[in-house]
Amino acid sequence: MSNFSILQREYGACLESMTEAFQRDDEAAFFTAVDHIVHMREPKMLGEIRKLTGDLQKALERFSIESRLADIAEREIPNARARLTHVINMTDEAAHRTLDLVERSGPLAERTAREANVLLESLEAFRARPAPTAGFEGVARSVEAFLPVVRSLEAFLPSARSDCEQIRRNLADVLLAQGYQDLTGQIIRSVIKLVEELERTLGDLTALSGGAVEHATLGESNSSGFGPVVPGVTQGEVASAQTDVDALLSGLGM
Amino acid sequence: MSKDLKFLVVDDFSTMRRIIKNLLHDLGYSNVTEADDGKTALPMLQAGNFDFLITDWNMPGMPGLDLIKAVRADARLAKMPVLMLTAEAKREQIIEAAQAGVNGYVIKPFTAETLKEKLDKILGTAGK
Repeated sequence: MSNFSILQREYGACLESMTEAFQRDDEAAFFTAVDHIVHMREPKMLGEIRKLTGDLQKALERFSIESRLADIAEREIPNARARLTHVINMTDEAAHRTLDLVERSGPLAERTAREANVLLESLEAFRARPAPTAGFEGVARSVEAFLPVVRSLEAFLPSARSDCEQIRRNLADVLLAQGYQDLTGQIIRSVIKLVEELERTLGDLTALSGGAVEHATLGESNSSGFGPVVPGVTQGEVASAQTDVDALLSGLGM
Repeated sequence: MSKDLKFLVVDDFSTMRRIIKNLLHDLGYSNVTEADDGKTALPMLQAGNFDFLITDWNMPGMPGLDLIKAVRADARLAKMPVLMLTAEAKREQIIEAAQAGVNGYVIKPFTAETLKEKLDKILGTAGK
């Protein structure tokens, strides 16, 4: 059936009654027929209008989502990248600062231990000397034998004091160097917020597209590595401690 | 075992290289050279008389696993003791590293004791 014959069937009777009323000078019947035609057209028109406004609304939403996405892509992603690079730099700096202080403290502690050992040896040598004879001569000999101990003590105490003071200062600086955790934590949190917004915005965009999105899987390769294990994220069987690795390798005969 | 062994430590993070270097120093090994990925490490190994390789896995350029494969494929380096020191901890990766020919596998974060234990074990058995 052609389109026009549908129209003829839908509106034919109505038009006939309109023409008849027109020829009869029947005003009331004429307008009844006109109302009938308008009534027949109304739902279609309303439907069209509803569809048009819906499309307009979607277009507006899409526009606002897309302009937010463009803003994120142009401004905030590069910002986030710069912020994360700054985090790497800060952690790198703090780690090197700590390593510097540890490397400077080690030899000081070693020197103190070494000199204490020299002192102990001279004390032991004093204790192991032949039993002192009675009288003034015996006392004089003991004093003379004790002199190397005193000399070792005199050498040891000032350097032990200054070494320990320096180690104490280095430890205080190691403590301060840990301040990076607070600052980098704040920066990382702000990047997490951005990622959350991006997730939401992309989700909205997907919903507007009718949810027809192909899920691409990220290709991961064994050869270049996956990076550190992240609890709740890393998939598959993972060694959580060195003992797991050792057990697995010994199972392989290593 | 001789403490004059020449080590090459390969890691893309300079802090980790420093930590390993310090620990080796504490264990009495003071002949330690550094490289920041497999691509720089391989020519150094081929040119430089190294006795021991400690390498990370996840590095830009050439990853540690590829470095180990290249080392094992080079007749002059094939017998070199290799310790993998990495955050990679998946079961299949550990197996893959074993198949590639590592002599030991230590996961980060690690302790000085673990490093010492693996070094002693490898140096006691490697090349024999």
